[in-house]
Amino acid sequence: MSDSLIQVRGLTRDYRLTKKREGVTGGLVDLVRPRREILRAVNDVSFEIPTGEMVGYIGANGAGKSTTLKMLTGILTPTSGEVTVGGLVPWEQRLQYTRHIGAVFGQRTQLWWDLAVVESFRLLQKIYEVEESVYKRQMETFHELLDIGDFLHQPVRKLSLGQRMRCDLAAALLHGPRVLFLDEPTIGLDVVAKENVREFLREIRDRDKVTIILTTHDLADIEQLCKRVIIIDKGQVHFDGDLEDLRVRVGQKVRLTVDLRESVASEVLAETTTGLPVRWETAEGNRHHAEFNRSEVAGGEVIKSLVNGVHVKDLHMAEQPIEEVVRDIYRQQKEPSA
Amino acid sequence: MERLEKRGTEGFWQRTAWQGRIFSAYFGQFVKMRLAYRMDFLVDTLAVSFSMVIQMAVLSVLFSKIRALDGWSFEQVLFIYGFSLLPLGMFNLISVNFYGFSDKYIIGGKFDRVLLRPVNSLIQVIFESFNVSGLNEILLGSAVMFYAGTKLGLEFGVLDLAVLMALAPAAALVYTGVFLAITSVSFWHEDKMGLAPPVYNIIRFSRYPMTIYSLPVRVFLTFVLPFAWVAYYPATWFVGDQQLPWLALLTLPVGLVVFSGAVFIWHRGASRYASTGS
Repeated sequence: MSDSLIQVRGLTRDYRLTKKREGVTGGLVDLVRPRREILRAVNDVSFEIPTGEMVGYIGANGAGKSTTLKMLTGILTPTSGEVTVGGLVPWEQRLQYTRHIGAVFGQRTQLWWDLAVVESFRLLQKIYEVEESVYKRQMETFHELLDIGDFLHQPVRKLSLGQRMRCDLAAALLHGPRVLFLDEPTIGLDVVAKENVREFLREIRDRDKVTIILTTHDLADIEQLCKRVIIIDKGQVHFDGDLEDLRVRVGQKVRLTVDLRESVASEVLAETTTGLPVRWETAEGNRHHAEFNRSEVAGGEVIKSLVNGVHVKDLHMAEQPIEEVVRDIYRQQKEPSA
Repeated sequence: MERLEKRGTEGFWQRTAWQGRIFSAYFGQFVKMRLAYRMDFLVDTLAVSFSMVIQMAVLSVLFSKIRALDGWSFEQVLFIYGFSLLPLGMFNLISVNFYGFSDKYIIGGKFDRVLLRPVNSLIQVIFESFNVSGLNEILLGSAVMFYAGTKLGLEFGVLDLAVLMALAPAAALVYTGVFLAITSVSFWHEDKMGLAPPVYNIIRFSRYPMTIYSLPVRVFLTFVLPFAWVAYYPATWFVGDQQLPWLALLTLPVGLVVFSGAVFIWHRGASRYASTGS
């Protein structure tokens, strides 16, 4: 037995679905003989996380991220497999276990909708039996790092998404949890708010050695916060390791969109980046698309040679979305030669 | 290896005190919130007072025509009616979240949040909202009982007061148990309308002496849907022929059994929720 804080072995979770038939007659048939289907949302997932690590748990929609988190937080009982966190089994010792964890599910607030933020905190203080001195110290930290002082007396329902997320984070950490589960903590936030949240997470990881598991769709979250990522697809772990390793394996594909001042033949355009590993695609009028890999060539270099060769009106670079990264990983596993 | 040590108070009484503190915190917040919507609060209080006046008027009109009901005098019936309001008020005070539980907690996903906190799930659901008009019903019930009792010339000793203090909450447990069991069905079926409204209507039957009903109805209200225990049986301690005082006291175990059964069903449902994730 290893000594990691979080130990997950062979975690599997099935959902039983009832498939509805079409039409009125279908509805009647459903009544008599429902069509049941078993969906395996999480399939034989195993990993270990030592104290103080921040791990990105990523995958496409429906890959099984939230289901895993629900099992790790004790909300859901697995179909089979084992989880222990600091020696506790989440769903069996729920009342004891939940005193040690914090959770933020980005889409839904954990706070009481109609209460002022500070009242919610006071309620949580009573629930988790947080001593007054500890409470005061925690609130000071939250003021300092999350800057929540301005809206502490407003009801939760009146907060902006960014403000609410900061309050949710504070609420999840009030009782000094040893493990923090974050499901899409930056979803829907603007750039500044995202940066605030990330800064805060870094701070509490470094200072309090809180172990953090977070799911996200935003690769930047992972890049700025996590050394280690676990990629899950169709319920199975497809990658578990350093972010650097992931980069080496898939690279960092970037999609470049260029608007030119005048019509230029594709060949001429392609010539400007000769010698660089850039792949040009077919153009739509004066708009051209190209793809390159940041691990092979820097974005600045591509743009420099491009601007030197043609009159660029505008350009736009987009990171490869997380879904594609996952797909690439998946593809690589199917074709080990790649 | 880091082990998660025990946190929080231990021992039955300490935990009960902790739950009491949580209750007062929740209740305090609720009152504060209600007061924040001042107009709402005012309209609510007015509406409840108005409906109480109407109920009283209906009763007195009814009994100005009928002086007695199957051997029961108007005052006796009134006393039972008044008594029935005490447990009903207590039940209404804490049962707001039973209604729409399926919508709010199961379909709306609030139950996930409940499970994330280190407090018994039923306690959290009950504490999260209250219905203050329950207090009005308790007040009205007491007033009606006092009026009827005076008219009947009841002698009300210390023992009677103690019995009242024990039986009214026990009767409230009967109400709570029945509706808790019905609410727990949501864990198995995402049912929008459900059984609650028709069952709620049956409560009306419980406000009158059971002897006016036919035997099947009495058996039904005693053993199947035990609403006979919320007013008639406990009230027989105070009014009527008083041949069977133990029957009134039986309300206590009945309340406990019905409520414990419902709590058991609730926790079965909650663990089913965790295992289905629906």
